[in-house]
Amino acid sequence: MGFTSFAWYLKEFFRREWVAKFLFVKTAPLVTPPFFRDVPTLTEKECSHCRACMMICPAPGAIEVVHGGGVWHPEIYRGHCIRCGLCVETCPETVLASGRILSVQEADGTSFDATYYIQVDQTKCMRCGNCCVSCPVNKEVDPQMGSGGYSSNDEVIMRIEAGKHHVIHEDRCVGCKTCENTCPNTAIRVARVVTAHQGEAT
Amino acid sequence: MKKVVDVSFPVGPVHPCWKEPVRLKCETKGEKVLQAEVELGYMKKGIERIMRGRPWQEVMFLAERICGICSVIHNMVFIEGMEAMSGIPVPPRAAYLRVIANELDRIQSHLLANFSYCYTIEHETLGMYLLNVREKAMDLLERLTGARVNKAYMIPGGVRFDLQAEDHVIISSTLDQIEPDIMRYTRMFSEGPLIGLRSRGIGILSEVHAREAHAVGPTARASGIRTDLRTQHPTYQKIGFSPVVRTEGDNFARVMVRFQEVAESIGIIRRCLDGLPEGLIRSGGVCGAGTITHRGEAPRGELTYYLKADEYGRIVDISIQTPSIMNIEASAHYMIIGATSLADVTSTFISADPCIACTER
Amino acid sequence: MSLLQRVKNVVRSRSIHVCFVDVGSCNGCDIEVLATLAPRYDIEQYGIYVHNNPREADILLVIGAMTPQWEDKLPALWERIPEPKAAIAIGNCPISGCVFQRRDTYVSAPVAKFIPVAAEVPGCPPRPTEILSAILSLAPTVFKDFEERRR
Repeated sequence: MGFTSFAWYLKEFFRREWVAKFLFVKTAPLVTPPFFRDVPTLTEKECSHCRACMMICPAPGAIEVVHGGGVWHPEIYRGHCIRCGLCVETCPETVLASGRILSVQEADGTSFDATYYIQVDQTKCMRCGNCCVSCPVNKEVDPQMGSGGYSSNDEVIMRIEAGKHHVIHEDRCVGCKTCENTCPNTAIRVARVVTAHQGEAT
Repeated sequence: MKKVVDVSFPVGPVHPCWKEPVRLKCETKGEKVLQAEVELGYMKKGIERIMRGRPWQEVMFLAERICGICSVIHNMVFIEGMEAMSGIPVPPRAAYLRVIANELDRIQSHLLANFSYCYTIEHETLGMYLLNVREKAMDLLERLTGARVNKAYMIPGGVRFDLQAEDHVIISSTLDQIEPDIMRYTRMFSEGPLIGLRSRGIGILSEVHAREAHAVGPTARASGIRTDLRTQHPTYQKIGFSPVVRTEGDNFARVMVRFQEVAESIGIIRRCLDGLPEGLIRSGGVCGAGTITHRGEAPRGELTYYLKADEYGRIVDISIQTPSIMNIEASAHYMIIGATSLADVTSTFISADPCIACTER
Repeated sequence: MSLLQRVKNVVRSRSIHVCFVDVGSCNGCDIEVLATLAPRYDIEQYGIYVHNNPREADILLVIGAMTPQWEDKLPALWERIPEPKAAIAIGNCPISGCVFQRRDTYVSAPVAKFIPVAAEVPGCPPRPTEILSAILSLAPTVFKDFEERRR
């Protein structure tokens, strides 16, 4: 048994192909296959500044929608991006591209759909109004909002009304969690609920 | 007074044989190991703490990064747990695609573990052969999921990408190439006399000791315990397979179990590809509240996730039990004891396929 | 340039010893470094030898997000590497902390706080070809004319 295995090793080592190549062969330069999803690149499409890519990104500080040259465009930070491709899949305008995600997604008809919910713990809320003032959507809708979060505009997401925090238009929330980060008492929380769809079903 | 212990011999945390930092303290007498102790804690990142309060699309990526070698199964168990908790149906095509991804991942994980063992017993030739085959499996995974290591393939209610028609052909043809190679390397391993000297009868874990140490996965199956959680998974039950069990309980048996499971996995993927149902790959469910304990068979053994979520699908509480901790305990407290050479300590420890990143999270 | 220096340049460019140390990663980058050993990528054809001994290493591959246990051990390990030496951060974890750099975490990324990092290979994990090309591009700049430049 021992000798046959030894002969087997010799046979393994002295294959003609192996001996011929041993001294001179070098690995051919390797190319990245087209199906590898690399760091997303920008396509020519126009970004609508919906920030869906920022909201679904699982890595902290990997993607940011910035204003440059008169247009909004997503900027991806290497060293933070984990190349998961969720931003490419979730973008409604196909601004980003990575690997063959876009073509596969078109063939399958798949999409991600995010809804945002605002939860306020009224027992913890101090009615300081920081969340209402810092909210970027509120700033656009009512730039005149007072420092206490008071507003007479009915289109704002949330406001302080009669000494109580009211969420009026939850559907307009973009999920940026600015309110959550500015809250001094962790009373407000934003839930990003993402569902995966295929076809026409919603 | 007679001295019982000569040297307390530390192995690690940075050691040529070990890919991850762990310290093994061996109390030795001559070259005989009397007692061994594992010192963990070099990799603790607090993943479970980070996971709390986050929705599935963030926890999924953290769960994958518990262990990069078996990332698919961590993803799968977490996502299946969320689905079972919120009652999300999975389309049959997506369930089959998940099994294909999981088995490809098992192939590459087992081949890497066997490479590590061959590298540890200084049989680099076979190790390099195995790494070469593993690259083919990695290519198939990349083709299916778009990434090599952390794939992020499964999402609640399905999978992210469908299997393309041309990839279907390439996967089955590559499996045809891999299979004779695996057979050849299995024969090289089982017949090699030098490998036999370093492997047979070394690091024996008897069935009684395996049960005492709660060994799981290939380590338990090599000791004659018939345990494989895939037999309880509905999709695997449909496809049909039989767990690999050996009775020797030594290093050789543990490596051979992994080789045979690779062959078994190739068979499972073939049957999946043949019976792949047509239809959608996503059902579009919303994660909800609930509490669940969900189990799955990782390449290293039983993996358990305890999940508790609030009404928006955010994780409130999570607890993960990974297979490596039991196997490391079995390795340190039963296999290594009585090793007659310090060279066998590393090879015995590696043969249990310890994954420190899993263990400490 | 002295003859001795020229000989040293040639030898050093053909023989680069690499030590990799895992300071709390998910294992993904470890197995990609191991995959560079595979015959497909074959790191050893360029004269790069991967092992885990800091005392005979030229290049330190740092993998992982810096767990508290390593905060004193990594600088100590860096001291043991003989000159000339360089450290490469592999993956996102040593660069930015990746997904672990969040509230309630134990890690203290980046690694550059503790040892000087000469090059970074972003990616989670980077492909083996990226790791290979990073080592090959960094090594000449660090090792070429090392003694003459130091003088």
